[in-house]
Amino acid sequence: MTTMLLMLAQEAEHGTAGAPTPFAVNSGLIIWTWIVFVTLLFLLKKFAFPAILKATEDRERTIARQLDEAEQANTEARRLLEENRRMLAEARAQSQALLAEAKAAAEKERSGAIEKTRHEQDEILARARREITAERDKALVELRREAVDLSLAAAAKLIGQRLDGPADRSLVERYLASLEKAN
Amino acid sequence: MMLLQEGLNLGEMILHHTADGCELWGQPIPGCHLRYPVDFSLGPTRHGILLVLAALLVFISMWTAGRSVARAGAGKPARGFAGAVEGLVLWVRNDIAIANIGHDGARFAPLIITLFFLVLYCNLLGLLPHMATPTGNLAVTVALAVVVFLVVEIAGFLKLGPKGYLGTIFMHVPGLHGAPAAILSIALAPLEMLGKLVKPFALAVRLFGNMTAGHFVILSLFGIVFLFGNLGLWSYGIGVTTAALVVAIMGLELIVALLQAYVFALLSAVFIGLMQHEH
Repeated sequence: MTTMLLMLAQEAEHGTAGAPTPFAVNSGLIIWTWIVFVTLLFLLKKFAFPAILKATEDRERTIARQLDEAEQANTEARRLLEENRRMLAEARAQSQALLAEAKAAAEKERSGAIEKTRHEQDEILARARREITAERDKALVELRREAVDLSLAAAAKLIGQRLDGPADRSLVERYLASLEKAN
Repeated sequence: MMLLQEGLNLGEMILHHTADGCELWGQPIPGCHLRYPVDFSLGPTRHGILLVLAALLVFISMWTAGRSVARAGAGKPARGFAGAVEGLVLWVRNDIAIANIGHDGARFAPLIITLFFLVLYCNLLGLLPHMATPTGNLAVTVALAVVVFLVVEIAGFLKLGPKGYLGTIFMHVPGLHGAPAAILSIALAPLEMLGKLVKPFALAVRLFGNMTAGHFVILSLFGIVFLFGNLGLWSYGIGVTTAALVVAIMGLELIVALLQAYVFALLSAVFIGLMQHEH
C-alpha cells in the first residue's frame, strides 16, 4: 500500500513534467466538445425529437384542449344555472305580485259591492218609510173627512135639519181636533 | 517486499489509462500532438474521438427510436429498445426538465435530454473494454458546464429583462430600504457573481471526479493482481478475490454512470429553473 502511494506520489511529480495525467486541461477538446454538443443537439432536434415527442406533445395538447373545453362548458353551465335561478326567482316574485294585486282587487270589489248593497237597501227602506208615512197621512185625512161627514149626518138625523154649512163643519172639525189633542 | 513484483509502476498505469492520450485501440491517432498538463492544440485525441463516437451512438439510438415510435403509430407504445429510449426521453423531459423549470420546461427539454444522453453514453463508454471515458476529462465536463452556464444566464436575461437580470446580481435584501439596502446589495454582488460561477464549476468537477475516481478504484483493484503476481498458487486466490471486487465496483460504476448523468441533467434543469423564476 505504501509502495503504491509512493508510486502515485512519484507519478504526480512526473505529471508536472509532461507525463499523462487525467488532471491535464486540453483546451482544444473544450472547443471540440462544444462543436459535438451543438451539432448533436441540432441533429436530434431536427431528426429525432419530433418523432419521439410528437405523440406525447399531441396528447398533451389534446388534454389541454379538453381541459379548456371542460372549463368553458363548466362556466357556461354555471352561467345557465345562475340565469335559471334568477329567472325562477323573478317568476316567483312576479306571480306573488300578481296574486297580491288580484287579492287586493277582489277585496276592493267585495267591499264596494257590500257598500252598494247597503246603500240600495237604505234607499229602499227610506222610500218605503216615506211611502208608508204618506199613505198613513193620506188615510188619516180621509178618515178625518169621513168622520166629519158621519158626525154631521148623525147630528142632522138627531136634530132633523140639514147641517152642511161651513160653520157646522168647522165646529165638528174643532171638536175632533180637541179630541186629538186630548189623546 | 519480496512478495511484490519488481519493475511495475502502478501509478503510471492508472494515470495513463484515465488520462487523455494519442493512441486508441493500440493504434496511434494521426495528427494528435498532446502535451501535458496544458494543451492548446486542436488535434484529435482519444477522448475527443470517443466523445464523437458517443454523440454518434446517441444520435443513432434516438433516430432509430424516433422511427420506431413513429411507425408504431398513435396511441400504441413502441416496443423493445425504442420503447426504452422513448421512456427515458419522456422521463428526462417530464420529470427533470418540466418538473424543475416549470411551464417553459418543454422549451429547454431538448437541451436537457441531449445533455443527459451525451453524458450517459460517455460515462457508459468508459466501462467497455478498450474504451475511455470522455466525461473523465476536465475539458469535456468544463465545456458542457459552460454550455449550461450560458443557457442559464442568457435564458435568464431574456426572461427577466435587463432590470430583472441585474436584480439577480444586486440582490434586494428583504426588510431594508434606502442607503443600507444599496450598500448591502453592492457588497453582496461579488458573492452573487461567484455563486453564478460556482454552480457550473461544481457541475464540471463533480462529473469529472466521479468518472475518474471510479476508474481509479477499478484500476487499483486490478493493480493488485499485478502487484502480487509472483505469489505462486496464492496469486489465483488473489485474482479471484480481486475479480469479484472489480465486478462489484463495476456494478457500482454502472449505477454511478446513470446517476451522474441524471445529476448533471437535473442540476442543469434546476439552475435554469431557479434563474427563470428569480423575482
